[in-house]
Amino acid sequence: MNRTPVLSRRTLLRGMGALMALPLLDVMRPRTARAATPAPRRFVAFYTPCGIHMPKWTPGGEGADYSLTPTLASLAPVKGDVLVLSGLDNLPGRPDGDGHHAAATAAFLSCVKARKTEGTNIRTGISMDQVLANAVGKATRYPSLELGIDQGRGIGNCDSGYACPYANNIAWAGPSTPVPKETKPRAAFERLFADFDPNATQEELAKRKAYGLSIIDAVRDDAKALQGKLGTTDRSKLDEYFTGVRELELRVNAMDGAGPTCGTAVEPADNEDVREKTKAMLDLIVLAFQCDLTRTCTFMLGNARSQRVYSFLGLSGEHHAYSHHQRAQANYDALAKIDKWEVEQYAYLLQRMKGVQEEGGTLLDHSAVYFSSEIADGNMHEHKNLPILLAGRAGGAIAPGRHVRYPGQPLANLYIALLNMFGVPATTFGDDGTGPLSGLGA
Amino acid sequence: MGLAAAAVVLAVSCNGTPPKARVLPGPDAPGPTDPQDAQCRAAARDPGRVTLHRLNRAEYNNTVRDLLGDTGSPASDFPPDDHGFGFDNNADVLSMSPLLMEKYSHAAQALVEAAWARGAFGACVLDPAKPEACARQLLKTFARRAWRRPVTAEEVERLVAFVTLARQQGDAPEVGVKLALRAVLVSPHFLFRVELDPSPASTAPHPVSDLELASRLSYFLWSSMPDEALLQVAEGGHLHEPEVLEAQVRRMLADPKARALVDNFAGQWLYTRALDSAQPVSRYGFDEPLRDAMRQEMQLVFQEFVTGDHRLKDLLDAPFTYVNDRLATHYGLPMPGTQTMTRVELTGHPERAGLFGKGSLLTVTANPDRTSPVKRGVWVLEQLLCKAPPPPPPDAGGLAPAVDPTLNIKARMAEHRANPGCSGCHALMDPLGFGMENFDPVGRWRTKEEGGAQVDASGELPGGKTFQGVVELRAVVKEDPDLSACMTRHLLTYALGRGAEEEDRCTVRDISQQAEGRGGRLTDYILAIVRSDAFLRRRGEAEAPKP
Repeated sequence: MNRTPVLSRRTLLRGMGALMALPLLDVMRPRTARAATPAPRRFVAFYTPCGIHMPKWTPGGEGADYSLTPTLASLAPVKGDVLVLSGLDNLPGRPDGDGHHAAATAAFLSCVKARKTEGTNIRTGISMDQVLANAVGKATRYPSLELGIDQGRGIGNCDSGYACPYANNIAWAGPSTPVPKETKPRAAFERLFADFDPNATQEELAKRKAYGLSIIDAVRDDAKALQGKLGTTDRSKLDEYFTGVRELELRVNAMDGAGPTCGTAVEPADNEDVREKTKAMLDLIVLAFQCDLTRTCTFMLGNARSQRVYSFLGLSGEHHAYSHHQRAQANYDALAKIDKWEVEQYAYLLQRMKGVQEEGGTLLDHSAVYFSSEIADGNMHEHKNLPILLAGRAGGAIAPGRHVRYPGQPLANLYIALLNMFGVPATTFGDDGTGPLSGLGA
Repeated sequence: MGLAAAAVVLAVSCNGTPPKARVLPGPDAPGPTDPQDAQCRAAARDPGRVTLHRLNRAEYNNTVRDLLGDTGSPASDFPPDDHGFGFDNNADVLSMSPLLMEKYSHAAQALVEAAWARGAFGACVLDPAKPEACARQLLKTFARRAWRRPVTAEEVERLVAFVTLARQQGDAPEVGVKLALRAVLVSPHFLFRVELDPSPASTAPHPVSDLELASRLSYFLWSSMPDEALLQVAEGGHLHEPEVLEAQVRRMLADPKARALVDNFAGQWLYTRALDSAQPVSRYGFDEPLRDAMRQEMQLVFQEFVTGDHRLKDLLDAPFTYVNDRLATHYGLPMPGTQTMTRVELTGHPERAGLFGKGSLLTVTANPDRTSPVKRGVWVLEQLLCKAPPPPPPDAGGLAPAVDPTLNIKARMAEHRANPGCSGCHALMDPLGFGMENFDPVGRWRTKEEGGAQVDASGELPGGKTFQGVVELRAVVKEDPDLSACMTRHLLTYALGRGAEEEDRCTVRDISQQAEGRGGRLTDYILAIVRSDAFLRRRGEAEAPKP
């Protein structure tokens, strides 16, 4: 038996209150290989619904010589780590007729126009994070991590004839395969760490793997026998099952006794207060990166067309209702409060990432952390001049601390540039990507 | 206005064309002749096809409850199901994902361990020397129930092979049996409702098998697996016989498991589920006991429609409800003297009769801080009449802040009808909502708005007819000839787990006419659906041309 003596997750859980953060303990640091190798690059997409009130968002100056607007004020401690990108358009997010929120959310990371349907034959495009996951995800236990806050209300139509998957997912493994998100912090935590059992011997682990794989073999045989008897659409449903089985197999093979040797694993409590829940989810992103359990993560601060009531901000109306501001000052003020709170959450994530030291810099230095909404102005459902932030240095590929304008350029070109930074040799992306956005680096 | 014979009917398009009204004939006049009648008579019914249906969270929870006696609702920790066409059992949008597969795998292990500890797997003893016979019996029984069909000998032997695997690893036979049980629970035959076409690429309709029909029925009425009685009838090949089918439907609706229709169908159709996330502002005194009472009220009322003898249309004006002291006080009804929900007649309180008097619906169709005649109107149009208005054009102006609080909401919304860009839809939506203006954002009766203005619950419907208040309003809606077809459309969508689309128009029409002809109870609708080609048959799908 050859196990690294480290503090196990269970030991830690026993000793800590939920949601309490501890400094990185030396005893938990990796002792071997990783210290010598450069830290990997990571990507986060942070989605916030219903657009942004742009007058209070967009900085006046350009380049390094810009000042933070009221909505962006909370970025002050990390201003040098953030790029504000103005002027990018995501025109594939425009719906047929109405349905701006759902169509634009489907196109948020795919830049592909969604087919208008309430459920039959849904179709958009593979999302940029999943392209990335396909390229870099094999290196980690989870190719990608999808997190969010809203379960969805499960009633009615989601948006004017656009099916709910468009409104509730930004990650798409393929044109008709949304990647659902985990909306409970505790479940997300359990998932990240479930396969570690520091008390298991190598023999026990080997047996567990053999058993797990035997179940996988059996159900795969079931599915194969079924496959030949199905029509086109049913076969594609079953293909989703095969994908799930294949990933499960990878997971079983990766079952490990050692446990993550990477910092503070504090199991979050389930709490429906959006403030607590958001913080717990953002902490999990940091933890998952710290432990190198994944390198690609998406986070939805709400579902499209969110009707959340921000009572803790002193607001009584619903977010979506405010976003149709009708040029009323009271609605502008409400939106500005909500936007500011959203940016604070993003700023929190950046500061947490900046607080994690790795070989050669901070976690933030090694990451690209993207923030945007599906639209700009909510009242007009504007798909142009989107509110975009990009933080981190992506290991040197990004030169942050500036406000850059890209009037009329497709958002897809930003994604091409990001993919290139991660070693994916894309030259086109989505419906309208033509080449990498220039000027993100120094 | 007198509503007795000549009711205004909301036969309106708000999309460009000006609203027009139809007038219903009196009770003795012949029904309206619709050219589509003839079309439907001539047309062959396409039963459509239902995509391979993954169990949603409710179905998974109920199925493991009935299969293993586990009531821990393990699927509550699964990622939320998406919904389409208004329901979260839409097979097209119930996707499978690696995350979900992991959840299924972990749940299967936990479920099997817990059920094994409870002794849930039958009577035989696993003899360590010769465990195969018992294992075979146990696994065959379990897989048949879990997969909702008889299993082949080959399938059973593949499961029994886990016992051999355990032996090779030096483990007891029960370890192998438990592995096999886990395999059953993550097999596609458990996680999906499998329906096979004799030739998957042929669009010729064919009957679904009796076993497939059994699952269609049990997931429709129970959101769960078929029970032993239903399975046996299906295995005997008798379920498709009309009398047998009807007897099973009636038996199943009488079973407490039919409560699933309340939770899953009505919960979504009537928006009761949205009550969970309603956040009225604090001045309305809305709290958890009230939320709970409102939810239960709607559930108990609908439950009576599942089991009772009411016409489905009477949901609009049923003269009874369920309240406890808290809700009765909220409603201004006499208190029943208990916090337990109690059935009361609404004599003397006609405003509380039917759906439009229910706090649950009135709350979820209001804004947190004021009523929304538009939301209430849209709910009526979409959920009761299937006439979805398009959303407003961008920057449509909308409801300005109440500069003059002495104006009532109707006066403030006059712009909706004055502006030509808005009036097409709002002439339809707003009056329906105005009729409910006597209910505040949490459903309390009021005669004055918060700003002090007198509530004006009168409305003028397209065509110029007027009504006064909620009692007359709901009579109009109840008389609308589209009500029956719309209720059918929602119920059929839910029953099949697929969208009822334009191709199903004649099917919807048949079902609604048949159901009304037999008395119009919810049971009549359910039976008419179950007897329809859409429910009894399916077809394959022509191969899509390769792109």
